[in-house]
Amino acid sequence: MFLAIRELLFAKTKYILIGLIMVLTASLIFIISGLAQGLSSDNASAIQDLQADALIIEEEAEGEIGNSFIPADEREKMIEAQGGNNNASTLAIRMMNTTINDADQQIDIALFATERNGILMPDVAEGMFPQKADEVLADATLKQEGVRLGDQLQVEENTSYTVTGFTADQRYSHTPVVFISNDELEQFNAVAVQGEANTDGSYEVITKETALNGIPSYSQEQASLNMMIIFLYVIAAFVLAVFFYVMTLQKREQFGVLKALGAKSMYLIRGLIGQVILLSLISISIAVVVTFGIGALFPADMPFTLELETMLQPAIIIIVVSTIGAIVSLYQVIQIDPIEAIEGAAY
Amino acid sequence: MTLILDHITKAYTDGPNEFKALDNASLEVKAGEFIAIVGPSGSGKSTMLSIAGALLSPTSGKVLLDGENIAGLSSKEVTKRRLDKIGFVFQAAHLVPYLKVKDQLNIIQVLAKKGKKHGNDLLAHFGLKHRMNNFPNELSGGERQRVAIARALMNDPQLILADEPTASLDSKRGQEVVKLLADEIKNRNKAGIMVTHDERVLSFADHIVTIRDGKIE
Ligand SMILES: Nc1ncnc2c1ncn2[C@@H]1O[C@H](COP(=O)(O)OP(=O)(O)OP(=O)(O)O)[C@@H](O)[C@H]1O
Ligand SMILES: [Mg+2]
Repeated sequence: MFLAIRELLFAKTKYILIGLIMVLTASLIFIISGLAQGLSSDNASAIQDLQADALIIEEEAEGEIGNSFIPADEREKMIEAQGGNNNASTLAIRMMNTTINDADQQIDIALFATERNGILMPDVAEGMFPQKADEVLADATLKQEGVRLGDQLQVEENTSYTVTGFTADQRYSHTPVVFISNDELEQFNAVAVQGEANTDGSYEVITKETALNGIPSYSQEQASLNMMIIFLYVIAAFVLAVFFYVMTLQKREQFGVLKALGAKSMYLIRGLIGQVILLSLISISIAVVVTFGIGALFPADMPFTLELETMLQPAIIIIVVSTIGAIVSLYQVIQIDPIEAIEGAAY
Repeated sequence: MTLILDHITKAYTDGPNEFKALDNASLEVKAGEFIAIVGPSGSGKSTMLSIAGALLSPTSGKVLLDGENIAGLSSKEVTKRRLDKIGFVFQAAHLVPYLKVKDQLNIIQVLAKKGKKHGNDLLAHFGLKHRMNNFPNELSGGERQRVAIARALMNDPQLILADEPTASLDSKRGQEVVKLLADEIKNRNKAGIMVTHDERVLSFADHIVTIRDGKIE
């Protein structure tokens, strides 16, 4: 690294400029990752955080919970088959329109109907756990719509619920989830099971992962964002590849001299890879700071999740693709002949 | 220590034709001896020097450095010989643009992984001490060539090879640089070969070898 470091310092401007491009690309990757993460939670945190390991649904539903309809009189038999209420609960999901305290404003919510004391009921973050049939636990994001503890949620003509408690991170299909008791339902969508699920073959067992992809728009949304991220990785790799390729071309004569003086190709290659890794590390560190700065400017209700752990994976990928980009230049370094240092013997 | 080039031929094939850049050339240089190679353009001077410096391998013939034939070694071994035993001074100094003068010398020790740092002594000896924190683009042509000579001495080589070291200098500076080179070779008991076009510096050499069409006369 003797040469590599000194060169970085000497040709500051060039490396700062390319570093700037790396910072911008990395920031964009982080921001889109944050957005993908945020949208994913916004769309499906209720399923992601569901207190279950597997879901049993109708075979004909083809993996989509919303297409599975199981009659209510199957409930007892099915829950029994999974070892009782401590292992399994039924789940019925319905998208609804609601008004608060008879006001005019309509809000979209997702009703999750399940056994009142079953395994799927989430913890209360604020208020009280519902006791009566018309009492419900609502996702805390409903507060942004003006809902307070004790408020009435009117759904359909003659059904209304009282919010007794709020719970955190329960969203489904970009709407807040309201947990209701399933006493009066005629059918449900799925049986959620903790641990291994047993079926006699007339039903299908799916993982939570499969269930996520069955949520309308979930996979399309994630796929388009992931596509952007992949493109940015490719761009980062290409930009660095071209930059170091041109730099290496420019340093041809100098590498020839160093080889004539006794430098091994391996030494020069280590310096090159070292430069790439150093450059990406510094750029990524700056990009992390930039991304947190930009994240702080976003409105609170924007679906954007930024955590250092979730930035680690893209950060590592950026370093890896940058290094791969630099490999294009390695061949150059290897095939430079030290004879090029002697005038006349080379071109 | 002696360098012996023993019946060296370097042939390039160009389709059906064969072209001999060097034709059965022999040469011997002993420690303390400084030889100048002259000859018309294209006669094979640089080829000869490159073969002596293990930058190029001959088509046939032996290159004996201290009794060892370096013509048959692997490229890794050859790199090591260059680092340990040979010092180069190139036509256009060929300093590394982003290294300060002191680091131009230190790099040799970094590459050789040897500890003793006598770079500063060498710079002082060459009257370059006050320049040691300058970059090559801040030096004059003569200073650059002096740094290049100091660099060639850095690994304490037994053989010093210079290809037209005065080509980028005016005649006064050229003479100074070659005198410096000749003195170092004498005082440190090295073997030295210099390729040159410049007749005014020939007086510093012990012998003058003329090459014409790849043959030594
Ligand atoms: N790689 C090569 N392939 C074919 N011919 C070559 C090659 N390298 C050198 N030659 C030829 O070998 C001959 C000797 O070249 P060399 O560079 O040794 O000349 P020189 O005496 O140093 O000339 P100058 O004084 O112009 O530097 C030239 O005719 C040159 O064209
Ligand atoms: Mg020449």
